[in-house]
Amino acid sequence: MIWATWRMHRLIFLVSLAGAAALAIWLAVSGTHELHAWTVFTSHHCSMNEPGSSQICMNSSQGSDWFSTVDAALCTALPGVLGLVLGTPLVAGEIQLRTNRLAWTQSITRTRWLLTKIGVGVLFTAVVAGALTPLIWWWTDAARRGNHIQPTNFDFSGFVLVSYAVFAFMLGAALGALIRRIGWAFAAGVPLFVLARLGVRDDIRAGLIAPTSATVSAYLPVYNTDWYLNAGFLPLGRSTPPPGQTWTSNDAVITRCQGPGFSGAQKPAHSATYCENLHRLHYVMQFQPPSHFWALQAAESAVFLGAAGALLGLTVIAVRRWRT
Amino acid sequence: MSEPLAALEAVGLGKRYGRRWGLEDCSLRLPTGRVAALVGPNGAGKSTLLRMAAGITRPSAGEVRVFGQSPQDQTIEVLRQIGYLDQERPLYSSFRVGEMLRFGRRLNPGWDDSVARAYLSELGIPTDAKVGKLSIGQQAQVALTMCLAKRPALLLLDEPVAALDPVAREGLMHVLLRSVVDDNTTVLLSSHALSDLATVCDYVIILSESRVHVADDLDYVLASHRLLVASSQEAPEIPPGVVHISTTRSQRQTDVIVRVEQPVTDPAWRVLEPTLEEIVLAYLREQGPRTPTMSPGAHGEAGGTAR
Repeated sequence: MIWATWRMHRLIFLVSLAGAAALAIWLAVSGTHELHAWTVFTSHHCSMNEPGSSQICMNSSQGSDWFSTVDAALCTALPGVLGLVLGTPLVAGEIQLRTNRLAWTQSITRTRWLLTKIGVGVLFTAVVAGALTPLIWWWTDAARRGNHIQPTNFDFSGFVLVSYAVFAFMLGAALGALIRRIGWAFAAGVPLFVLARLGVRDDIRAGLIAPTSATVSAYLPVYNTDWYLNAGFLPLGRSTPPPGQTWTSNDAVITRCQGPGFSGAQKPAHSATYCENLHRLHYVMQFQPPSHFWALQAAESAVFLGAAGALLGLTVIAVRRWRT
Repeated sequence: MSEPLAALEAVGLGKRYGRRWGLEDCSLRLPTGRVAALVGPNGAGKSTLLRMAAGITRPSAGEVRVFGQSPQDQTIEVLRQIGYLDQERPLYSSFRVGEMLRFGRRLNPGWDDSVARAYLSELGIPTDAKVGKLSIGQQAQVALTMCLAKRPALLLLDEPVAALDPVAREGLMHVLLRSVVDDNTTVLLSSHALSDLATVCDYVIILSESRVHVADDLDYVLASHRLLVASSQEAPEIPPGVVHISTTRSQRQTDVIVRVEQPVTDPAWRVLEPTLEEIVLAYLREQGPRTPTMSPGAHGEAGGTAR
């Protein structure tokens, strides 16, 4: 059955492989170009003798040119496209061409047939995505230079990318088994995958590992090595807002205390300190430090692999129950 | 003594597609070792019955059993016993013929590669040819080869000869007979080629308007029907004691197919033995609730029903 699975889907496997190879070559070229451009830039501007040079170099550390943006989009889309392209035809393709009527009347149960096909497909997807991971990591360092824990880089850094691809594969397979048409299943899979990814990134990821909180001065610049989640004035002794309050609610207290038109940049810092002392507040930043990167990767991978497992169960049920 | 296990048994089997019944209240019992013809017009429910027997279609009512097991359970035991040829002959068109055989070999422990290769060689189909490049007839032969080489106990063939030329049809019938003799395979095949069926089948199931009208031994069906012929101008009343099936009138002659329990002795009618084709056409011509059916268990163990 492993041979049969490979033979059945050989074309789409090879096309995916070719696409991944093309992306790898492109990233290698693009990354080399970005690295060279950065080297030239730093040799001209990042001299310690030049006033404000460290600020310039720091602000330039997020790659922002057109190439970098497009490449980042490609890297973000990679697991979804790879998984959906490989997963959607797995069951839907057979149903659409009626070859399921041949396969499901051989001396093999549908469950074994499906699990073998999914096993081969998942392994292939994971290997392709996994093989690109180190290259994408290198490219991120070369072209974007931000820390990998930043959401803009996290999405295609590390092994979480493999879990996205596996999730997309199972999403495609499940939708294919339910909708029974490759085109419609793919069309439904794209927005669902995007929604799942955005939902986890924006609403779940930050809470997967307990963030770090620190009391800091409200008016010092922040650095981009950490992933900042929240910041605001909180009652002394608290690192999170009291129940029923948000991170911004105590900012309003400070603003009222300091009067209309107050701005930290315009007024002396002791004005804010006065208000903080008056209301017994302190300024707290909540963030995920770089040291949490691998734990976050593992936690988010577990979320997507868990979802993939649920989709596997759904696909098995759909295939076992399938009748005309 | 208990009744021998039937190769295929349906009890009150029905399949509803929306508000329409594709097959309704179908009860029949196909003994092992028979070659059964499943005949009926398009849309009569032949493919539906075969798909339910193969576990591809879920019944809406009743149940079907293959050697005492439900094909709906999709167990290995029941899957091994069934060889199913779908009407659309699904094959992997990107495979080469040899790869299709490899596919069959990998998925079926009872696969007989020598049977498959000998059959394809007999037909002149090269194993390195791409399935998608073969003619429709050759694809049908490859699909049938896949069924035969699996060496199932029950072959369910949906229109196996539809795309075959007369020579290939004869070859197929020969192969089927050989399979029945060598392996005691039970065959249920649907077809419109009634003349071909009469040469190989020993059991007949007539489906019309989603219902079973006849399910019995071919010999018994032939023996229990008569063709009554008379001049159209002087056609007498249908003799008592017979069941009228259908009447066709031309300007010169009136032909009546009847089912008889005893010989017709009315001298006004010329009594002939109808062919299977004539009997089947008689049932199909007179579709509808008025069409008579052979009573359940009409003959021996071959019980056919009908409402």
